Amino acid sequence: MIGSLLTGIGIAAFGFFLQTLTSGLNRKIVAHIQKKHGPKWYQEFLDIFKLINKPSVHHGWIFDFGIIVALGGIIATAMFVPLTNNIVAFYGYYDFAIFIYLFFVGIIGMTISASASSNPLTSIGMMKALKSLLAYEVPFLIVVLTIINLSGENNLSDIAIFQQLDGNNWFIIALPLGALVVIFSLMGLLGKKPCDLYVAPCDSHTGAMIEHGGQELGMLYIMHEIAVFIAISLFVHLFLGGAQNIFAFILKYFIVYTSINLLHVLYKHFEIASKVKFYYKWPLFLAVLQAIVAIYFGLLINF
Amino acid sequence: MVKYLNLKINMYLHHPCKVGYSMISIEVLILFLIAASAVSYLLTKLNTFVGSMMTTITTFFTLIVLLIFGLNQSLESSATIVNFFSFEPTYLGLFFSIVITFIYFLISFAHHCFLSENEYKDVYNFLFLLSLAGVIGSFFTDNFLQLFFFFELIVWSTAFLIPLGKSKKAAVTYFGFSIAGSFAMLFGILLLGAQVGSFDISYGLENVSGVTAVIVFISFLFSAFAKLGLFPLHTWLPITHGNAPHTFSPVLSGALVKIGAFIAIFVLIKMDPVSELFVEVNLPSAHYFFALLGSLSIIFGTIMAIRSDDAKQLLAYSSMSHGGYILIAFSMLSSVAFASGFYHIVAHALASAGAFLAIAAVARQVKTTDIKGISGVLQKMPITYVVYLISVLSLIGIPLTGGFISKWLLFKPIFYNGWVFIGIAGFIGSIGSILYVFRPLSSLLSGQEQIKFDIKIKEAPLLMLIPMIIITFLNVYTGLFPHTLLTLINKVISELGYPRLDATLFSIAGYDGVMNPFLIGAVFLVGILISFLIFITLKYTHPFSSENEHLNSDTICQKELLYHRAHYFDQIDSSYRSVVTKMSDFYSFLTKEILLIGKKCVSYFMSNHIEIAILWIIILLATLLLGGLL
Repeated sequence: MIGSLLTGIGIAAFGFFLQTLTSGLNRKIVAHIQKKHGPKWYQEFLDIFKLINKPSVHHGWIFDFGIIVALGGIIATAMFVPLTNNIVAFYGYYDFAIFIYLFFVGIIGMTISASASSNPLTSIGMMKALKSLLAYEVPFLIVVLTIINLSGENNLSDIAIFQQLDGNNWFIIALPLGALVVIFSLMGLLGKKPCDLYVAPCDSHTGAMIEHGGQELGMLYIMHEIAVFIAISLFVHLFLGGAQNIFAFILKYFIVYTSINLLHVLYKHFEIASKVKFYYKWPLFLAVLQAIVAIYFGLLINF
Repeated sequence: MVKYLNLKINMYLHHPCKVGYSMISIEVLILFLIAASAVSYLLTKLNTFVGSMMTTITTFFTLIVLLIFGLNQSLESSATIVNFFSFEPTYLGLFFSIVITFIYFLISFAHHCFLSENEYKDVYNFLFLLSLAGVIGSFFTDNFLQLFFFFELIVWSTAFLIPLGKSKKAAVTYFGFSIAGSFAMLFGILLLGAQVGSFDISYGLENVSGVTAVIVFISFLFSAFAKLGLFPLHTWLPITHGNAPHTFSPVLSGALVKIGAFIAIFVLIKMDPVSELFVEVNLPSAHYFFALLGSLSIIFGTIMAIRSDDAKQLLAYSSMSHGGYILIAFSMLSSVAFASGFYHIVAHALASAGAFLAIAAVARQVKTTDIKGISGVLQKMPITYVVYLISVLSLIGIPLTGGFISKWLLFKPIFYNGWVFIGIAGFIGSIGSILYVFRPLSSLLSGQEQIKFDIKIKEAPLLMLIPMIIITFLNVYTGLFPHTLLTLINKVISELGYPRLDATLFSIAGYDGVMNPFLIGAVFLVGILISFLIFITLKYTHPFSSENEHLNSDTICQKELLYHRAHYFDQIDSSYRSVVTKMSDFYSFLTKEILLIGKKCVSYFMSNHIEIAILWIIILLATLLLGGLL
């Protein structure tokens, strides 16, 4: 039990490091595409360490409690993420429901903290974040339902192993519409354009985190980086057959994150109501279509 | 300590006979409750506190009897005093009666805090206990006609309790829907009795067949929908819950609506399926249809809760949504699904009662439940805040709460059978619940402290805090150690003829997945500990009171902020506003038409003019003569 917990903490720490590094490298890549130099590749680390060492204000114990719960919940979720077939903390306990519901703790903690700040502007920010959650999660979960139903596996690592078996394709090939839907959902989950309004710098004056500064904001940045790690890892395991070794995992992880980040550069913002309507139109339709075609008609793309 | 407690409870649940209690009659228990209600009436007349305590002691005694004698299978079925009644102690009835009596017991603590200002406080305690007598009778009777009688006892006693709150319209609405449900069930009972020649519940459900079975199935489910407040028979829920006395809303939502689930179990599980198997979804088509209706309830309840401005109405719509989960669970015809349904009944009862009590505690101070009207009581009522928070986390289904276990169990069959449309509803319900439960949290409990409430707001009194703290503890306990509750649920599932769920002290197995709630709790605590260590190690913050903040003191006057505060989710609400009002418009239209017909009937048949009366008498006599009846 202690060994598993330590492995889990190690995975969460690795996830934070990997994502912050990947994010820094991506800033360089995007800058080069735009014919700029961009910040240093380790700028993300500097930003976070600078923030967590800065003084700040707080608005009562619930304000602090919310941040602790948000980060704690996301760390706990990351501890359940399998990295490869062998690097797992709690073998046999990777039930997908854990990822669905434990992941919510992050946003709930943020909501608790933001609402305790008494600033009415934070309510507007939280409102946007929660509405976004309602928009992008439902299509994503329908695709997850399809994958669990087809693979007959409920554990994330078992779903990855299922794709590695002879005769089975990666789900990105077998379920292309589902993969497309999940990419759309990841844009929302990661706060990337066109679905970034609730964390967008242009909208920060009415954002959820306007009352958070210094150390608290730093903790929320750490939370965000780990949350992104979880989301991308889920994609790697759900659609790209997981990873048999750590190098394969890092490579797949980098490709997925960079692809989504490049899509982010191409788009402009969605207004929140448009975003909800968009997700309940095309991604939901595609997710349901994929589910019906795959589950009820058994039509999968096979090579 | 917890492990020891678990062992003791489980040992008792597994080997109740070792305790060796003598028998107690269900009839005596019901008569005791009726007598206690009269005593409570008299005592409350003399002293509110003593009368309320009498109510609490009575409900506690009832609960203890059910726990000790019920689990020990020592409840006597025969009736000797009122010998035309008969009972049959079952685990199904025991489960429901324990859950509901427990909620009655906890809520009764708070009676004194609210009744002292109520004009009819003596009647309140009387009707409260009388309705509990009806509850016990309903769950243990073995005869359909007696079941109808006990249901009516509940309906009539509660229908007089509800107007002791804010509005009489709420009571009328509740009564109308309840009576419609009751009479739909009576119609089914009479048809069933005519076919099988008996009103015995088990015999009747086993032997009813053909078209009669279909009609009984539909009429019973109509009744279940009315009692559970499911779409499209849901409109009474927000009106009644929103306007019922603050201490009765938790009982209505947490306990009494679950009677609908009890009726649904009769036809969905105990009766042979009345329809063909729908191969694609591996369910009888009628079951799938009603599961889809349950899904609609989830979606409709969620979007209506999101647009509610009243905290109690919001929670009422939440109850409608959770009723949908329960109906889906009992439609799925598998042990895991049934376990989720029974577990959800308990989890929702606790979460809903906790949330309603927290809102009641705030409303007691500020005299309103309007989300737009108040804010910032958090600093003055921190315990109430935590109680509400834990309760709503359970409503959402966050790990470490009872709601997570039930939803985990529910989603298992949905995923494995590929029930896409039911899944969509379940996902919208789960995520949507985050939106609506946080509206009271951020607007009513948190937010700017309002100067007008600043002086007089205090934490809830001890008698309210006791049930709130117990409920909060149980919300977490049921999320960490589901085995205790699943032991009883397994007995119910076995009784229904389905295999038991594989559950040990630390894990539950559903299909090929294994859940270890204790492990999730431990990992979550490690996460919190790491987060806390980061916070403590780097702590360099200073407190900042709301008066010092420019934004706090000034910008609330801006129209934009006031708008967002009042219309929190307006942007998404606008996209479905026209759709959701159609159902209430339809019921308004129906009410108007019925009133119009009623007025016409009154003018035709009950006229003051003697000549019209004579005309009707002549027509009646002529009809009878023509029909050869005279």
